[in-house]
Amino acid sequence: MKRRALFGGVVAVAMVGLTSGVVAQQPPIKIGMSMAQTGGLAGGGKASLLGIEIWRDDVNARGGLLGRKVELVVYDDKSSASETPAIYSKLLDVDKVDFLFAPYATVPTAPLMPLVKQRGLLLMGNFSFQVNSKVGHDMWFNNAPWGPADSWASAFLDLGQKAGGKTMALLTADQEFAQNLALTAREVAKKRGISIVFDQAYPPNTVEFSGIIRALKAAKPDIVYVASYPPDSAGILRAVNEIGIGDDVKIFGGGMVGLQFASVMQNMGSLLNGVVNYNTWLPEPSMYYDGTKAFFETYTKRAVEAKVDPLGYYLAPFGYASGQLLEQAVKATGSLDQKAIAKYLHGNEIKTIVGPIAFSADGERKETATLMAQFRGVVDKNVEQFRSQGKQVILFPDQFKSGDLISPYEAAQK
Amino acid sequence: MSRNSVVFWIGAALFLAAVVLMTQVIGNQYPFFAGYVILQFIVLAVAWSILGGYAGYVNFGTSAFFGVGVYTAVFLVKAIGAPLAVQIAAAATVGALLGFAVGLLTLRMQGIFFSIATIAVTIVIETSVTNWRFVGGAAGIQIQRPPVMPPFDNYVQMLFFVQALLVVLAVATARYIQISWIGRGLQALKDDELAAECTGVPTLRLKVLACVISGALMCAAGAPAAMYLQYADPSSAFNLNYSVTVLAMSLIGGTAHWMGPVVGAILLGVTQQLLAVTISSEVNVLVLGIMLVLFVVAAPEGLLGLIGRLVRYRAGGKA
Repeated sequence: MKRRALFGGVVAVAMVGLTSGVVAQQPPIKIGMSMAQTGGLAGGGKASLLGIEIWRDDVNARGGLLGRKVELVVYDDKSSASETPAIYSKLLDVDKVDFLFAPYATVPTAPLMPLVKQRGLLLMGNFSFQVNSKVGHDMWFNNAPWGPADSWASAFLDLGQKAGGKTMALLTADQEFAQNLALTAREVAKKRGISIVFDQAYPPNTVEFSGIIRALKAAKPDIVYVASYPPDSAGILRAVNEIGIGDDVKIFGGGMVGLQFASVMQNMGSLLNGVVNYNTWLPEPSMYYDGTKAFFETYTKRAVEAKVDPLGYYLAPFGYASGQLLEQAVKATGSLDQKAIAKYLHGNEIKTIVGPIAFSADGERKETATLMAQFRGVVDKNVEQFRSQGKQVILFPDQFKSGDLISPYEAAQK
Repeated sequence: MSRNSVVFWIGAALFLAAVVLMTQVIGNQYPFFAGYVILQFIVLAVAWSILGGYAGYVNFGTSAFFGVGVYTAVFLVKAIGAPLAVQIAAAATVGALLGFAVGLLTLRMQGIFFSIATIAVTIVIETSVTNWRFVGGAAGIQIQRPPVMPPFDNYVQMLFFVQALLVVLAVATARYIQISWIGRGLQALKDDELAAECTGVPTLRLKVLACVISGALMCAAGAPAAMYLQYADPSSAFNLNYSVTVLAMSLIGGTAHWMGPVVGAILLGVTQQLLAVTISSEVNVLVLGIMLVLFVVAAPEGLLGLIGRLVRYRAGGKA
C-alpha cells in the first residue's frame, strides 16, 4: 500500500512536471546582436551588454514577453566593421532570431544598415552616430540621447555664448566620431556668428599635446571645443593643467570621450574640475525615473563580477532602455510583427529608466537629451565620489538642469 | 601540358563548379558571408606567399594593399559608379603600381628593415586616406550595392563566386611561379641574394616582379570587400590584423609550396569563423595565439613541412 502510494506520488509529480513542461515549452523569443568584447570598444561594449542582460533577467522575472522567455544571442565583433555582416547573417539565417539589436558604436553598426533596410528588419541602435542619415531606414531606433545632428554643438556653443564667448577654438581627433562633431560645430558656429580662431585636427594616438595647447592658447579663444578619444582626452587635460590655457577661456570641453568612464575619471581626479563635457546619465536628482534606482543597485553588484565599469552611467542604462522600448512595443501591439512594432515606436512616447523617449522620422531622438555637465570639487584617486550628486553639475538641457556654469574656466578649475 | 597541370586545372574547374552549384542550391545566406571571408584570406595568403614565401621578403603591408584595393573600389563607385569587374581590374592595376614601388624598396632594404618599411607604407597610406574627404575620410563611407546580375539572386552569392575566381587566379599564378624559372630564381635569392646575383640570377627584376604580382592580387582581393561590407572606414580597411593573420596563415600552412598558404588560410580562416560564433569572447584571441605559437615551435615549416617529415619518417621506419 505504502509502496503504491509512493508510486502514485511519483507519477503525479512526473505528470505535473510534464504538463508544466508543456506550458513552458513555447520557444523563447531570441534577440540577436554582436557586441565588442575584444578590441578598442570592448570596455563600453561589455558595460552595455550587462545593461541589456539585466533587462533580460527583469523581463523574464516578470513572465517574459507575451508569455515567452527572452533569450540573448551575442557574438563578439572584435570592435571591427568587417566582422558584423557575417555575424548578423548567422543571427538571421542560422540562429533565426526574432529581433536584432545593433552592436555598440558607429563603425560596427554602419555595415548593417543596408542589410536591415533590404530585408525590412527592425534594428535597435546602440550609441551610434548618424548611421541612418544617408540610408534612411524607417525601422531604425537609436537608444542614445543624441537627438538632431547639430544639437550637440549648439548646446555647448549656447553655454559659451551666454558666458560671453565670441571666438572659438576647435581641437579634434582625426577619427570618425570626432570629425562628425567638428563638422557640425563649424556649421553651428557659422550660424551663430562665432568666429573660429583655431581649428586643428591631430592624428589618433597622439600622446604629447603641449605644443598644440601652446598654439591654442596663443590664439586666445573664448570657447574651446574639444572632440577627443580616451587616451588623448587624458593627454589634453594634463597639458592644459601644466601649461594653462589663458584667462580668456569661458568654457572648455564639449566632446571628450573617456571622461564618462570610471577608470579614466579616477585617474584624472582633480584635473577634471571645470571641464564642461557631454554625458548621457548622471546621478543628479533630475535623472531618476521609475526603475532607475533599482537598475543601478543591480548593476553595481553585477559589475564587480562582470569586471566592467563600476559606475556604468554612460552606456548600461541605455542598454536596459533598448529592452524596455521593445518590451512595451511588443506588449502594446501584442505581436512580434516588426512593422507593427516600428509603427508603434514612431507613434508613441515610451517611458524608460532614462526618461521618456520619443523618436523622430529618422529613428533618432526627437529632442536631444545629451547632457552638458561641469565637473566640480573632484578630488584625486576616488571613484566612489562620482556616485554622489554635485560632482558633475548638469547645465543642459533645461529639464535636467541642476546648476549654472561657473566661468571662466580658470575660476572653475579651483 | 604536364599530367600534373591537367590534374590541377581539372581540380580548379571542379572547385568553381562546386561554388556555382552552392550558390544555386543553398538558400541560407550565412555560408556565403563566412565563406567569402575565408576565400578572401586564401587569395591574400597565397599572394603574400609569392613574395614572403618564395623570395623570403616578409611583407607586413598586406593591410596596406588590401585597404588600397577597398578604397580604389570606393573611389570608382563614388566617382563614376563603376561596375564590380572594373573595380577589381582597377584595384589590381593600382596594386601592381604600389607593388612596384615596394619592390624598389628592396633595392636598399632586406630582412627586418624591409618588414618595418612595409609597416610604414601602411601607416602613410592609411593617414592619407583618413584625410581624404571625398572617400569619407575618418568617418567612413556607406555604399549602396547595385542590383545583382543573373544567374545569382543575391549580391553576396555573386561576391562569393567572384572571390572564388580570384582564388583560382591567385593559386594558378603562384603555382606557375613556383614551377617556372621565376620560382627557382626567387628561391636562389632567398637562400643567398649575393650568390644568386653573382651566378647570373636577375635578382632585382625578380624581386620587383614578385612584388608587382603579389600586390596586384592583394589589391584585387580587397576590391570586392567594399561591396561586401557596403561600408568602408580607414581603421577597418587598413587594420593590421590582415597583415598578421595572413602571415600566420602562410606560416601555419608552410611557405615552400603553393598549397601551404591555401591549407593555412582554410584552417585558420575556418577556425576564426567558427570561434567568432561559438566561444565569442577574449578566449578566441587566446586560441589563435596559442595555435600560432604551437606551429612555430612544433612545425617551423608549417603543416606541409610537418606532413612531409612524417611521411619521410614512416618510409624510413619501414625500410
